[in-house]
Amino acid sequence: MAMKTTNPLAKLVRKSPFKQLQEHMRAVFSCVSMLPPIFDALKKRETDQVFEFATEISECESKADRIKNEFRLHMPKTLFLPVDRRDLLALLNEQDGIADDVEKISQILTSRDMAVPKEIKTCLDELLEATMEISSKAKLMIEELDELVQVGFGGREHDKVIEMIGGVRRSEHSIDQIQYRIKRALFAVEDYLNPVSVVFWYQIIEIIGNISDRAENMSDRLLLFLSK
Amino acid sequence: MEIIAAYGTAMMVLAIIFGLYMTWGVGANDLANAMGTSVGAGAVTVKQAIGIAIVFEFAGAILAGGHVTKTIRKGIIDPTTIIDRPEILVYGMLAALLAAAVWLMIASFKGWPISTTHSIIGALVGFGIVGIGPEAVNWGKIATVVVSWVVSPVIGGTISFLLVMSTRYLIFNTENPLKNAKRYAPIYIFLVGFVISLVTLFKGLKHLHIDLTAVQSFGAAICIGILTGFIGWLFVRNIEEDSRADKEFHFASVEKVFTPMMLFTACSMAFAHGSNDVANGIGPLAAVFSIVNSGGEVMQQSDMPVWILFLGGTGIVAGLVTLGYRVMLTVGTKITELTPSRGFCAELAAASTVVLASRTGLPVSTTHILVGAVLGVGLARGIGALDLRVVMNIFISWLFTLPAGAILAMVFFFFLKGVFG
Repeated sequence: MAMKTTNPLAKLVRKSPFKQLQEHMRAVFSCVSMLPPIFDALKKRETDQVFEFATEISECESKADRIKNEFRLHMPKTLFLPVDRRDLLALLNEQDGIADDVEKISQILTSRDMAVPKEIKTCLDELLEATMEISSKAKLMIEELDELVQVGFGGREHDKVIEMIGGVRRSEHSIDQIQYRIKRALFAVEDYLNPVSVVFWYQIIEIIGNISDRAENMSDRLLLFLSK
Repeated sequence: MEIIAAYGTAMMVLAIIFGLYMTWGVGANDLANAMGTSVGAGAVTVKQAIGIAIVFEFAGAILAGGHVTKTIRKGIIDPTTIIDRPEILVYGMLAALLAAAVWLMIASFKGWPISTTHSIIGALVGFGIVGIGPEAVNWGKIATVVVSWVVSPVIGGTISFLLVMSTRYLIFNTENPLKNAKRYAPIYIFLVGFVISLVTLFKGLKHLHIDLTAVQSFGAAICIGILTGFIGWLFVRNIEEDSRADKEFHFASVEKVFTPMMLFTACSMAFAHGSNDVANGIGPLAAVFSIVNSGGEVMQQSDMPVWILFLGGTGIVAGLVTLGYRVMLTVGTKITELTPSRGFCAELAAASTVVLASRTGLPVSTTHILVGAVLGVGLARGIGALDLRVVMNIFISWLFTLPAGAILAMVFFFFLKGVFG
């Protein structure tokens, strides 16, 4: 008979949800990192590469999903957390939504033969770059979580993360403007393009914009951790 | 009286066997909890933990284990009504010992978070009720003990909460956390040595015929504190910044300062455990010895010989070496979330609380106090996630352990009474 123990300590201290959140965010970020290369391949009309990147995106997305499920499975209501359990789950949802968005884009790019209209090329590059930037800022913000726990969500670390949240906000604002410009550019040429493709391009721009909205929502949730 | 004269040796042999069995169980389970935190934080290896445990468990048992032993031995049951039948008390003590040990074994296999302390108290009460009568149980003392079971984890939690807050104020939330960690580490280590030795020395060594005045105890405690602080300083002075590890976790270098500090709390935990839990096994054994040795004197006027404390220490260490190391390994790998700085605060708080309880003669649960101390870290928002179901299970285990110990003790009591006649 296996000897167990009367020791409750091992059961008391659970795996830190913040570390899992960070692990999840890393998977989400690798999804987002595939966006510039997949659009590059599209611009060069290298269909094989588009499909390759799409497969990689779908792998990253599944990985994020696995971590998400694992996380939820180990979040019984009896947990005593330094932050509100609902905020934690909402933060995870926002993070996961980013990976889903990236996958949606890659699905559009693979299910239809899309060509990048040359009029929106520069704007699109700008939008993708800004999206990479905001995602990386969001990731850095999440990477501070274990330090925040160490200092009890206060003091210098608190101020540092507040600063980072401000950075995410500013990025989101500038992405809104890029989005406006790219939509105007698309509108200017939409009569000369395939109408169905135009609809899908609007959709793609909308989904890319969504990513920055989600990053901002993440920073809002994080702000709640800090205000407690 | 004749029964004692006829079977005295047999009774002593049984008491020693049961006492060793009980302390062995305590060592296999309980001690591993106390040491597991330091193993988990990477402060000590399992082998080192066993070495520390052997030295400090004995020290705790022999230097500070007498007060709780006295409570278990003669504070719970009042034998005035059975002065002419001392064998009843012997059966009772043997039954209580066996009951507590058997219940501990059952709980170990089931993985219930019970406390050896609660088992032995429950068993003593059970015997008292059927063996002598409900009026023989010192209910006032029982009430004090039960209150201490609730109060002690709260005290442990409060101390650890304050310690965590102090590390933030002095170290983590400063311009240069590593520099401050190295500056304050010797002071924290001083605290470990000072608090534990002050509580132990202050009017606590009478059984070793050492009687220190308040000033002498205070002076000696300061000396021991400075000595441990100095040894600690030797450990931490050469710790360098590890910028690669800091990239991953900004406080990695600071935590490296706390790692050797947990060596000291590991020692203090073993000491605290020895001072409190050894009594669970040897209290009844000491009672049997006193009765048999005096030829049937139930009031136990004589002092307890030190060899009994030594025997208890041996049993606990044997339990740790044969089975406890595996428990320690499991505990160690599972609570890696408790980083050295938090583990240090929790262990220092728990050890101080236990030693204080030992000094007052209160039999408490080391494990439950450690749980309270870890919750204190959680209240300071210093830990990722704590499962409160465990706290619930501990309360449930209390409700079951007292009656289970009592009923088992009753059964064994009547059995022994039947066997010896």
